[in-house]
Amino acid sequence: MAALIVAVVATGCSNDGCIGNGSSIPLVGFYDYLTKKQGSVLGVTVKGIGAPGDSLLADSIDLQQLYLPLQVSTNSSSFVFDFNVEGLPPDTLTLHYEAVPYFLSNECGAMYLFNMQGFTVTHNMIDSVALPYPVINNEDKITIKIYL
Amino acid sequence: MRQRLIVILLLLVGFTVTALAQQQEPNKPHVTPVKPSTNKVLKPEKGTDDKIIERYVMGDTAAALEEIRKDSLKRVYPHYPKLTDLALGINIIDPLLMAFGQKYASVDVSATLNMWNRLQPVVELGMGWAKSKPDDMNFTYRGKPSPFIRIGANYNFLFKNDPKYQFFAGLRLGFSLFNYDITDISYHNGYWSEYAQFAIKGQHSHALWGSLVAGMRVHVWRNISAGWQVKYQGIFNYKKNVNSKPWFVPGYGERDRKFAFGFSIYYTLPLMRDKWPVKESKGTTQPQQQSVPQPRQGTSQPQQQTQPSRELPPNVAPLKQ
Repeated sequence: MAALIVAVVATGCSNDGCIGNGSSIPLVGFYDYLTKKQGSVLGVTVKGIGAPGDSLLADSIDLQQLYLPLQVSTNSSSFVFDFNVEGLPPDTLTLHYEAVPYFLSNECGAMYLFNMQGFTVTHNMIDSVALPYPVINNEDKITIKIYL
Repeated sequence: MRQRLIVILLLLVGFTVTALAQQQEPNKPHVTPVKPSTNKVLKPEKGTDDKIIERYVMGDTAAALEEIRKDSLKRVYPHYPKLTDLALGINIIDPLLMAFGQKYASVDVSATLNMWNRLQPVVELGMGWAKSKPDDMNFTYRGKPSPFIRIGANYNFLFKNDPKYQFFAGLRLGFSLFNYDITDISYHNGYWSEYAQFAIKGQHSHALWGSLVAGMRVHVWRNISAGWQVKYQGIFNYKKNVNSKPWFVPGYGERDRKFAFGFSIYYTLPLMRDKWPVKESKGTTQPQQQSVPQPRQGTSQPQQQTQPSRELPPNVAPLKQ
């Protein structure tokens, strides 16, 4: 009986309310490949390949991190990163994933989760890319690390 | 000086005469008259069990004193039998709250066995369902009517009082198997200009939870009573699906909700009614076997010396409690 009381009190302290975003969007962070520390990138331009109207995600601005929305109608999304370095062409990052419909909670609602399956990237300015989490959900944290 | 000598001589003469007088009656005993306190008919205290009186009269003092001790304990508070009553209840708080906008409900019927008016094992069986479409959200959650069971026990702190009024605390262990759908899900990605409508159907889950319960019950009319409960609860384990987590658990409520309330109507069936304490005129209760005894016929000699009802013979000490 005492164990039941302790168990109820212990579990009663948890809370699964919506503490993240209302949707699952990968968050890219830029890192120095030597120090492995996060830093700012100056004057970067980012756009999705095939986005309606060639819409830009970032237009020559200084960035430490950036949200990259993924398409759910396909299993991959490609993005161009132009670091505005003379003589270096832009890099292209293509993410491969599976979009999974998911109902999280009454507060967060329904959304897509992305089971990350891999990526391809060019290495003009980008040294490497890391995907630290196999699943990208609505948690507000860096899920793609780009080392420059 | 002469007068003092005369007084001293008179005193000496007086003592001498007294001493001589006592020596002249050596066989006469020294008597201190004492009036025996038992030289009257003693009555036991009102309400003393007839069995105790009989044992006392028969000379079995130790047994009588033991009976008196037990009898005095019974006078501290009434003792209810092992099976005091059985209360059948129905929890109607959720249907009431649905009328005020709550999006789910769990209705249960309960059976509460009241033992010694203290310990109360409880079984609760019910059905729960839900339908929620939040105004600013992109889905409709439908919890299909699904069963649940809760088992546990209460401890009635008012065990000294009439079972019609109870204040209790208890524990519950609950379990439910349930199904649900999430429909009318809309998805919009502004950057890629994507719109999607989909549903997540046929979701099956189960949950195991525990609750700390505190509540009270009051008499309403005849065998009808009403009770309130407040619960602090937590889910020990539940099944997460590939495409969803359940939002509503039948018998528990919202999965993230830690507090819950209950309001039940009860019908109480008294059990072993003949062993219930009976009320005295002053409002206190006394065990039933302490009713006024009938005069006994053909008993032993001491009873012949007593008054017909409840008096003790002169050679018996009074009963104290």
